[in-house]
Amino acid sequence: MTAHLYWSPTGQSGLSGPLLEMVDDCDEAFRILASRWGAVEERHGAMLPAAELQRVDYLRSFPHQATFPVRLAPDEANLATFRDEPLNELGQVSLTSTSPVTEVLTPAACYHLYHAHQGQELDAPLYLTTKNTCFRTESRYEPLRRQSAFTMREIVCLGPPDTVAGFLALTRMHVGVLLDALGIPVEWRVATDPFFQPARSPGYLMQRVSPVKHEACYGTLAIASANLHHDHFGAVFGIEIGGQPAHSACVAFGIERWLWAIMQRHGEDPVNWPSAASAASAL
Amino acid sequence: MRSELRSFVLAKARGARPPQELTDQTPLLADGWLRSVHLPELLLLMERLRGTPIDVENLKAGDFRDIDTLMDRFGHAPAQHTAPAQHTAP
Repeated sequence: MTAHLYWSPTGQSGLSGPLLEMVDDCDEAFRILASRWGAVEERHGAMLPAAELQRVDYLRSFPHQATFPVRLAPDEANLATFRDEPLNELGQVSLTSTSPVTEVLTPAACYHLYHAHQGQELDAPLYLTTKNTCFRTESRYEPLRRQSAFTMREIVCLGPPDTVAGFLALTRMHVGVLLDALGIPVEWRVATDPFFQPARSPGYLMQRVSPVKHEACYGTLAIASANLHHDHFGAVFGIEIGGQPAHSACVAFGIERWLWAIMQRHGEDPVNWPSAASAASAL
Repeated sequence: MRSELRSFVLAKARGARPPQELTDQTPLLADGWLRSVHLPELLLLMERLRGTPIDVENLKAGDFRDIDTLMDRFGHAPAQHTAPAQHTAP
């Protein structure tokens, strides 16, 4: 099976053959769960404007995980200097002058949705789904389990508090039933995000005293999470319903982790793998 | 300590609500008297008032629910609690 897994120790994997088919099958299962809400699919780019992401204090909360696209300053003299010796003897890029960094590589798929829908006055709850490659710097990497670049599918609801709470509870239940059907035992646990210097972080303190994040853990590995944002994103991005900031919640799936869990549970022979999409269709 | 906590909450609410609506049982976060940005400062205030540090890893759900809870939880000598902190987000 390793013939179909191309691992880079910098934290990213490539997939082919049955592994690729399985992650596509998992994603189809998540899209089926999203379709139960009539969620509209959106596709967004690899980067977010740093200024927009900072509106939710991302860079102060997670500076240790942020990843930035860097470009060379475009003047010809600078490019010529770079061209003379683009790499050093260690294979590291010898950067010359760089352009100002104004973007962040996507750290979570759903940020794009709040950014894209900012300023909207909703006349009904809004259900969305999106998938993106997400980038997070970690202290160590493991194939499929912990990567610097990984694939995240999210289902998001924006609306009144009761509607959002209902969405989160029911979707979490659907995920649990799907995992049961796939024979993957999980435990839902209260979790916090990995804030930088958490004792000084408003977000971390809030998550400790008012839990809003629950993770579906297969052993020690979180393969999905259910997150309640209250009106945080609605207020920051001016998304309103009924004249009030919309509440929001998301359910997120780490797709490579689902593949890992399926292989752990059912072995490496694809013949023994269940179909996640078939299981989701049968819910 | 109770009166200082009350003053802190009223200062952060900045007149958005009538002060007489704030009781010792008023849900501070759920009812919007405090927001997450106020919590580090509240933590520092409580540490100063009781004279000992508070280990954030021992914070539990509901610890900041209302002024009565803050007093019960942090108004006296520190108690030993264990609360496992874990994060394995996708």
